[in-house]
Amino acid sequence: MLSFKVQLFSVLKSKLQTDSVDLETPEGISVSEFLDLACAQYPTMEPYRRVMRLAVNQTYSEDAYILQDGDEVAIITPVSGG
Amino acid sequence: MVADESRKRLVQLSYERIDIPAAYRFLQTPGAGGVAVFIGTARQWTGERETLSLSYESYEPMALKEMHRLIDAAEHEWPIQRTCLLHKLGEVRLAEASVLVGVATVHRAEAFTVCRFLIEQLKVQVPIWKQERLTDGLRVWVEGNHPPR
Repeated sequence: MLSFKVQLFSVLKSKLQTDSVDLETPEGISVSEFLDLACAQYPTMEPYRRVMRLAVNQTYSEDAYILQDGDEVAIITPVSGG
Repeated sequence: MVADESRKRLVQLSYERIDIPAAYRFLQTPGAGGVAVFIGTARQWTGERETLSLSYESYEPMALKEMHRLIDAAEHEWPIQRTCLLHKLGEVRLAEASVLVGVATVHRAEAFTVCRFLIEQLKVQVPIWKQERLTDGLRVWVEGNHPPR
């Protein structure tokens, strides 16, 4: 198993009332599977699954990327700067 | 304000008020024939909804990387003398500047084009989020419908 501290911002941070959550995953999990797992474990995130992306090591990742131990992860919902 | 080593770009997230004259001073260079500056400001009315103030938060290390990545893409596409990309975080009062995009280029056409490119891309790509404080006391995150690019 791998364990990640998932950083949250904006609406997810408000709705979950925390700026990060812990997530344990099997090894060899893809970004897409990681987000599905996060939403299953924290159902408050589920309505945002369609519009969220995972940032890995401060870069938007592709769905097929396989997460590695030690990756810095953050869930990015639609941005609204400007 | 401190520019990065190349002195060709100024990229900054700050809780301080955006220093517009300093940004313009940075953009001034003899190589440029035009400077385009876009300043985004906090708007009071969105339809019938009144906003009292805005507040911005960011995933700062990634936002700075994405801002540099945008400028990299612009520099790859167009000849650019200087670029300025500044965003305020925290509370922004009505009419105050929340974002400044400035570009100095040899000819004016590129200045307009690059300025537009940078603000449009920033709004869909850079991890910065806006919260509106409304007249009923509620604070509401502005939620988009599309995943970041």
